[in-house]
This record gives sequence, structure tokens and C-alpha cells, in this order.
Amino acid sequence: MQRVKNLGYDEDELYDNHDEYEQEDATAYTAEDKENFATLTPVIRAELDEAGVQVSDKDIEDALWHYYWDVGKSVSYLKNSRTPRLQQQSTEKSDKAKAKSKFDEAAERSAEKAVRTTMPPMFAADWFRNVSWTLVPSHVEGDLIPNEPVRPMPKLLGGSSKLAKLAEERRKKAATAAASQSESPAPNGSLSALERLSKPRDAKENEAPGPKVEPKKYPIRKKRDPTPPPREPTPPPPEPEEEKPDLRASPTAFGLALSTSPPCGLHPASMTLKDLLGSEVADDPFQGPSPDDTVLRAQQYSKGTPNKRRQSGVNGLAKKTEALKLNGTAASAPAQPKVRSRGLDVPKLWAEEKSRRKASAAFVVIGHVDHGKSTLMGRLLLDTGAVAQRDVDKYQKQATEMGKSSFALAWVMDTGTEERERGVTVDIAQHHFSTNSVDFTILDAPGHRDFVPNMIGGASMADMAVLVVDANQLESGMKGQTREHVLLAKAVGLKRIVVAVNKLDSTTPDAWSRSQFDGVKGEVLKFLRESGFAEQFVTVVPCSGLSGDNVAKAPKVSGPAAWVANTHPTLLKALEKSVIPDIDGATIRRPLRLQIADVFRGGVTNPVSVSGRISAGNAQTGDSVVVQPSGETATIKALEVNAEPCDYAFAGQICTLHLTDIDPIHLRTGDVVCAASHPVPVVKTFTAKIEALKSLLPQAMDVHLGRLHVAGGIKQLVSTVDSEGEVLKKKPRIVKAGQKAIVKVGVEDGVVVEVGDRVVLRAEGATVGFGVVDGTA
Amino acid sequence: MRLIRQNIERKTGAGSATLLPEEPEDMWHAYNLIRPTDLLRASAIRKVVTESGSGSRSNERVHMTLTIRVTKLDFDPQAAQLHVSGRVAVENKHVKLGSFHTLDLELQRNFTLEKAEGWDSVALDTLKEAINQDAKAQLWAVVMQEGLANICLITDHQTILRQRVEVNLPKKRAGSTDHDKSLQRFYQTTFDSLLRQLDLANPKPLLLASPGFTAGSFHQFIKTQASNGGNKQIQQLVPKITVAHSASGHLHSLAEVLASPAVTSKLSDTKFARETQLMDRFFELIRKDDARAWYGPKECELAVERGAVGKGGGVLLISNSLFRSQNIQTRKRWVRLVDEVKEGGGEVRVFSSMHESGKRLEGLGGIATILTWPIEDLDEEVDGVQEGQDMPDEDGVDGGVDGIEGVSGHDEDIDFL
Repeated sequence: MQRVKNLGYDEDELYDNHDEYEQEDATAYTAEDKENFATLTPVIRAELDEAGVQVSDKDIEDALWHYYWDVGKSVSYLKNSRTPRLQQQSTEKSDKAKAKSKFDEAAERSAEKAVRTTMPPMFAADWFRNVSWTLVPSHVEGDLIPNEPVRPMPKLLGGSSKLAKLAEERRKKAATAAASQSESPAPNGSLSALERLSKPRDAKENEAPGPKVEPKKYPIRKKRDPTPPPREPTPPPPEPEEEKPDLRASPTAFGLALSTSPPCGLHPASMTLKDLLGSEVADDPFQGPSPDDTVLRAQQYSKGTPNKRRQSGVNGLAKKTEALKLNGTAASAPAQPKVRSRGLDVPKLWAEEKSRRKASAAFVVIGHVDHGKSTLMGRLLLDTGAVAQRDVDKYQKQATEMGKSSFALAWVMDTGTEERERGVTVDIAQHHFSTNSVDFTILDAPGHRDFVPNMIGGASMADMAVLVVDANQLESGMKGQTREHVLLAKAVGLKRIVVAVNKLDSTTPDAWSRSQFDGVKGEVLKFLRESGFAEQFVTVVPCSGLSGDNVAKAPKVSGPAAWVANTHPTLLKALEKSVIPDIDGATIRRPLRLQIADVFRGGVTNPVSVSGRISAGNAQTGDSVVVQPSGETATIKALEVNAEPCDYAFAGQICTLHLTDIDPIHLRTGDVVCAASHPVPVVKTFTAKIEALKSLLPQAMDVHLGRLHVAGGIKQLVSTVDSEGEVLKKKPRIVKAGQKAIVKVGVEDGVVVEVGDRVVLRAEGATVGFGVVDGTA
Repeated sequence: MRLIRQNIERKTGAGSATLLPEEPEDMWHAYNLIRPTDLLRASAIRKVVTESGSGSRSNERVHMTLTIRVTKLDFDPQAAQLHVSGRVAVENKHVKLGSFHTLDLELQRNFTLEKAEGWDSVALDTLKEAINQDAKAQLWAVVMQEGLANICLITDHQTILRQRVEVNLPKKRAGSTDHDKSLQRFYQTTFDSLLRQLDLANPKPLLLASPGFTAGSFHQFIKTQASNGGNKQIQQLVPKITVAHSASGHLHSLAEVLASPAVTSKLSDTKFARETQLMDRFFELIRKDDARAWYGPKECELAVERGAVGKGGGVLLISNSLFRSQNIQTRKRWVRLVDEVKEGGGEVRVFSSMHESGKRLEGLGGIATILTWPIEDLDEEVDGVQEGQDMPDEDGVDGGVDGIEGVSGHDEDIDFL
């Protein structure tokens, strides 16, 4: 019932419109309407100003009219229709500004004068000066009197029968008024043609023909919309004044513009281009914020984020691209965000911030199995506040349940289920903590001989070493991994070492025996000296990880450990003292190199993440990188240093890179992430200058290059050399323990090696040699 | 391999032998027996194109027995297939003399081999070894570490890598179970691949070796699978598993594993154990800088020339890859060397280049000796000889390498380097 009724009504509309066109021009807003405009326009303007949107009165009136005085809807419509356009314009403009080369600027400057002088104010007549139809003889010329703006057809989103009804009422009123109106459009042929152009062919009220209409922007209300399909073949209503259906084409923009002129533009010559082109162009170009303002505002917005200082160091170009990026993302939020480089000059930033930056250091904790490395580190983290007492209490409870209560502190580091069950560290654990002066990264190495490969990987990421020695069991360590770890620490190039003589609380016969400490200290120092550690880089500290004495806090003055406080610094102090920044600007300027220590899923947003130490160069968000040996490219989506997101990282830092555009199957532990412009070559053989710990023959071995652990071996003994590098013997039959030699090392799969990399050779579970890569061929 | 018939003359070595390969490993023996320029007669299928009088052509696949003069051998250890290329030496109605053919030797099909320059001592030894019908020891081994597992089949003469499982394991990190999860997935993948390789109906001993706890955990994993699955065959496998320690998960760690008593007791065959023992002895001597141990082609030749590899402990260790050289002269040279040592009363051990100890020997150039008495500075003498006259060694050694290069495409995973 309802349907049919509405249908009929709409058909009415279809035809009604045509006979009203003649009168429509004459139709003015009624007094009542005008009053409404007068009251509501300021309200809307205020709202829009608040939102920073510039709209002409006319537009506001239009909106009000079409939304039937609904202020809220009008405002939102105007905002929607205005905002993106403005931004787009500003974007385009700054784009243009960016693209301007010096050449262009010069050309512009030279052209400027001419332009300035020849450019008259843009009048419509001038605009069409040379067009033939402007040269009409005066006697034929008709007078164009654009008395009333032809309103574009109503622009409602969905149809609303109520609104439509009101509109009809209005039109009827106008029709009655039209009889008295003497003013009708001039019967000039050309004009009527124009008029006709301006008329929409389809008179359906709901469909807006104007170029401004962006139907997508409005919420769809079609569901309640009773408007039937207009082409329904219902019999025409039996009205006498019925006219033929309109067959005219819809108006072109040009035609519309010609017939649409504001009431003020009575004189044709005073019509500006803007009038011609309608409201596509903003009424007042200077009303809105200038493109520069937009850029500035965007920058201010971005400066709200923590990197305030950095912005100052960036050149103008980078600023503009950044502003662009911000605008772009705001305008098209759902679009795929392509990570773009900010073009930061990282070496410069590094140099600028050098003095302000807190020192940072990574240390590897080495020593024989069960000498208390993990427990000592757990204590250090607890006492520096990096780990909450609550967590340790929880571990304590769980460990007691398993009958291993003394392992509670070690559980801070040993998070693996297997590690906890067996009470042995298997893999490197990485943790951060900060003191007032230094940011530390702990790399807790496993002590068991089977996991020495992991220890080598951890040591290769460290700046210095902490050697943990059990005061009661020095001998077992010196035969075992205390010795091997110290040699490996030297092999990977560590120079500074802090010796923590641990478990002094359980020395026999009495705790904190000073003589025992001195004995251990003497032996360790002797061994370190023999291994080639310079004495000034070695510090020996007595401590107890389990009780926590002299780790972060000095022991009590009254207890048996009182002597320690006066003679030795705490472990933490000793660590702080050993930190020497040794990264120079040249290293940071080199192309990026980062050996992957771990490939993992960093979370839902970062499905592919790798971590490792940047050995050279720098990285920043948006950099494109190559992962060797697979040769796959990737883009750095985000960076983290010490679990804090940041924009860039540089050599010496242990960082996490979140990558995109790469499949994780191409990433392996030990692969190298390098700058896309300077990929490291992949080789299968290389020569190395080796120091032998056991006799070496051409034989199969495990080859360790930092985190990389591959099968390979010595292919050829090239020569033995003395400490100065002089060749002693060519093609030796064997390289004996303690000798230095140049050997050719082969690996089964291609590896990424550069001259100067540290290499460790192991066979049958023992380190047999270590050295430096000499040449890659 | 079964010897069907042979008519080899003792003195000249002329004559032929007809052999029947019965199991995959026999292909390896065949590969070591057949040399370029030998005459090989075996059944073949050849596409024959016949043209009728009217000019129409018809293709036909014809079964026939072909005799070819061998030019090239191609051995695929993983599939245990041997392809022998050569030129047809005996004409028949389908195939012209001199046309090319590649014979694919097949199990349970006879082939007849005639040596071009007669059966030498090495060839006869190889033949003897090949037709040895003693029970063959076979063993499956999984050498693993976290994220890497090498599944291989160990036979008397070969170590064949059948499958390598490589998984990237995320490292442990607080609050994440990714490591444990992917470790389980790694075990599952390894287990699945292992089951595909094993013949469960007739389970062979299975050796699991790794550093740390990986092998133990994997053993536990298999046990759990066996008890859960209700698969009888897997349950039968469980008691055949041995867990051992290895220094790493790489294949070359297998040598160390196989030398361990836990494993030698399980291997019925003693050949491998003897070889390993000899290699260990050699390495020990050379570490002690004992002048009785030397390696390298020139050094060994010189030592043999001096009669230092003789009665009372002189041993020549030689890889069979040297006899596979394309170059006849080179082959003859090594055979001569072997004969010389034998005449002098020394011991000769031909190592399989596809076995672990053989690979260790390959690293040393494929040949090494333990002398009866020490010779100091043998290498310097060799250098002197080299300066004086350019010995034809270089291409000889290269030739030896060429012999294996033909297969390097297949067994590069196994061969060290």
C-alpha cells in the first residue's frame, strides 16, 4: 500500500519538475526560509570554523536547504565535502614545491616578470577572448542576465519522503507565485540552449546532478528509502499539464558554470574564473590555511612524539617528505602503509648525540658449568631492579617444588623448560638493565661443553666479558670451560674482562676466606696473562651470587666479608668502570652489517623479526636490506634497541629489526643483514690466519663465524707463520698446537665472510684453532 | 652381488666376469669395478626407428643385450643408481657399431664386465669384496642438534645421507613459548622424515646422536609417539634405538660417534672399525710429530719407493676414489703403488670414499701411509724432487678427483666438500 502510494508520488515528481523549470529560475527563498538562513548560518559557520573548514555562505545555505534545516547534518556534510579536498590541495602544492629543481626555479624567476605584467584579472570575457562565439555582432547579441542562481538539484543522500514532500510544497508555492512574476528568461535562442544545458535530464529529486555530490560520503539510508525504481512502467498520472519526459542530456560542468553565477556577478565581465568553474575552486584561496601552514602543523604534530631533538637535524627535504607522509596516511588510512625511509643522517645524529647519550655495553658471562653464571646474573638483575622481587619469589616457589630451590635466581635467565628441568643453561639469554650511567646488556652464556657453539655466538655480540669462577672449584674449570671460554673470548676479539670470583660465601673452612680468594685470583690472572689479556683490562672482584654480597651492593661491614668492602669494588661498579665506548664514526658510516642471532615472531604486527648486533654501519626505519646468503631483500619496518622502539640504530648496538617483504624461510641464525647497496659476497672457501690450540691437519671441522655454525674444515695448510707474519714454512705437513698458520678453510654451504671476521674452528667437541679471516676467494 | 661365472686368467688378468647385483649397495661396488674403456655387456632397452619402404617411420622399444665400451660413469648414491655411458662395441641388427648408449644397471639383472687392460690386483680385490656374501650390517643414524638433523644410512661401505632436516628455531625469550613449540615441530618433522626412510617391517638399529639433550629428547619423543600411536611397527622400533653423544649435529661428527664403543658393539662388521682405528692411529702419530706418518700422493710414493712401507707395521691407506680416475695412467700408477706395497709385505687398506673414515682420508688427499721406520723431512725431499723434475702427479691427482666429480652433483651433501 505504502509502496504504491509513494511510487505514484515519485512519478509525479518526475514530471512536475519539468513544468516548473520555467518558474524555478524565478523562485526565490521565501521570507521564512531567509529568516531561517539568517539564524542558522552563523551557527554552522561557528561549528565549521572550529573544525578549521572554510565554507562560503552560499554553501551553508545550500546544505541547510537540502538537509531541511538540520544543523548537525549540514555541518558534517560540509566538513566531509571540504576537508579532504583542502588537504589534497595542500599535498599537491607541497609536492610541487618539492619537485622544483634549481633549473625550474631559475626559469620561473625569469618568467615571473612577464607573467606579472601580462596577467590581467581573470574575467570570463578575457578567458574566452579568442573563442569565435564571443565575437558575436552586437545586434545579434543577447543579454545574459543571470538573475538567480540555478541551484543544483537537491543533494540529499537517500531520499526521504518527508523531505521530498516538503520540497514539493515549496515548489507548488513557487508555481503559484510564478503567475504574477513577469520576469522570465529572455527568449534568446542561445540562452535557452544554455538554460537547457543547465537542466538535469533526470528530474528525480533524490539524485543530485551537481559535480559536488559525493554520494559515497553519506551514510546509506537506502533501507528505509521508499523510492521505487523510476523506470517503473506505471501509467502516467492523468494531469492535464503533463509534459513529455525530458530527453536532454545532463549538464556539462561548463554549461552548468555558465548558467550558475552568483547574484553579485551581474555584469558578465566581472565574472571570474572561479565563477565560471563553480565551487570546485575554493571561494577564497587565502581563507584556508596555506600549504606551508599545513606542513608546519603536521610537523608540530609529529614533534609531539619523543624525537623532538632529531627533527632539528633533518634537512628541509626530509621534513617535507615526512609531512607528506603524515598527510597521506591521514587521508587514506586503510591504504597499505609502505614503509618509507625518513632519510635520517644517522652518522651525523650519532655524532650530535654522542655526548648526551648514556654509555651502553654488552657483556658476555662466561665460565665453567655450575660455577654460578646464571645465578649471579639473576642476582644482578634483581638488585638493580630490572627484575621484580615478586618474580623471583615465584621462581623460588616453583623451583622448590622441583627440589631445586637454589636455582631460583638462575631461572631469571634460564627460561627454557629444558633448562629449568635440568638446571643447565643451554642457550644465550639476553637481558637489559640500566644503572645511572650505563645501559647494560647481559648475554648469559651456557657453561656446558656441548653448548660452546652458543657461547661463541653470544661472545661475538659482546663488548666485554665477565668470567665467573667458583672459588671452591677452580681446578675443574681450568681443565674445562673456564679455559676454553677465556680462549674463545680472546678468539672473538674481546679485550676487557671482569673476573667474578663467585661462591665465596661457601668457602671452607670458613666463609669469605681471603686467602682462598687471593689464591684463585693469582691463578686466574696468571692464566689470563698467558692467554694474552692485558693486565690493565682485567678486574677481579670477589662476590657471591646466591647471597648477593658485593654484586650490586657492598657486603655488610660487620660480617666475614667486611674486608671486601674496603679493597674491592662491587661487581656492578667494576662493570661500569670497564665500559669504554669504542665505536667510531667511521664504523658507523660503513655499510650495514648485522649477523642474525635470532629469527622470531615479534608479535602479531611484526611477524618477521630478527635480532643481532650491528657490527658496522647503521640502520633506520624504511631502509631496504639484503639478507645473505639467501640474497633476499627486505625492508626494515621498525627497530628496537633494548626493547624500546626507535628510529635508527648504529654499530655496536644489539637491536631487533622488524622486517617486511620477506619470507622467514630465507632467514637463518647466522645469516647477515646488509645494506642493499653493499651486499656481502657469499663464499665457500676463504683463507684465515689461525692460531692452533691443537695440531691441525686438513680435516673436517665445525666452523664458527659468530653466530654461524657450519660444517666445513681445513682444506689446505698454506704456511706456518711467526707472530710477525713472516712465513716459516710453506705447505707444512701439520700445524702444531701453539703455532700460527695460514690455512684455507672450506665450508659446505656458502657463508657470508668478510676480511677481518673472527673464525673459530672446533673438532670433536674442542676448540682446535681460532683466527681472523685473511682473504676471501 | 653374486658371481654368476668368470673366466679370468690368473696370469694376464684377461677375461670377463658375469655378476648379478642383488641389493642397492651392489651398485656402489659396480661403480668401483667398472672403469672407463672397459667392456660392459648388459641388457638394455633401446628405441629403434624403422623406416618402411613407403617412407613411413615407426618407433619401437626393443629389449636387447648391448656391449658397450665405457666412457663415463654416473653414480647416484641416494637412489643407488648407476648409469654407464659408452659406445656400442658389438653390432646387432638394431644398433650400429659405435653408436652411443647409456646402460642403466638394474638389480637382479646380470651384467658382464671385461677389463680392457686386464684385471689388476685392485680390481680383483674389489671384486672379491663385492661378491662377499656375509651378512651385511646396516644401521640408521640421526645426527642432530637443535634445528638440524641428518638422517643417514650406514652400510659397510657407504654412509648415505638420506635426508637433512633444517629448521630455524627461535631462541628462548622470556614469556614466549615459541622455542618449545618449534622444537616440538622440529622433532615431529624429523620423526616424519625418518619414518618415510625406514623400512618399518624390518627395522634396523637406529642411532640417535647429538650434543646436549637433543637426542635424548628426540628418543623420548619417539617413545611417546610409539605409545600413543598404537602403531605396532613403531613400537618394535623403540628397543632398537641407541642414544649417543656427538660433538655437533653435522655429518662429520658421525665418525666420532661410530668409533664410540656403544656403537661399535652394535655394528657386526669389523671392517669399518678397523679403518677407523687405523685413521685414529695415523692422526695420533702425526700429532706426535712422529716421522712415520705421512700423507699426500708424492710423499707416499716416495716412501713406498724407498721401501719404507713394508713388513712390520707399514700400512698404505688409500681411498678408492683414486682408482676411479678417468685417466688410465693415473689408475695404473696407484695400482702399481698398491702392488709394490703388497710385494714388500706391507698392508694396504682401500677406504671407501663414501664412508666416514674414507672422508677423513680424502681430506688428506686420499692417500696416507704409516711407515715401518721413520723418515724425517720427507716433504722437503719431495719439494726437492719437484723442483728438479716436474712429476706428472698433478694431473694424476686431479684425475682422481675428476673421477668423483662425475657424481659430485649427487653426493655433494655427503662428500666432505
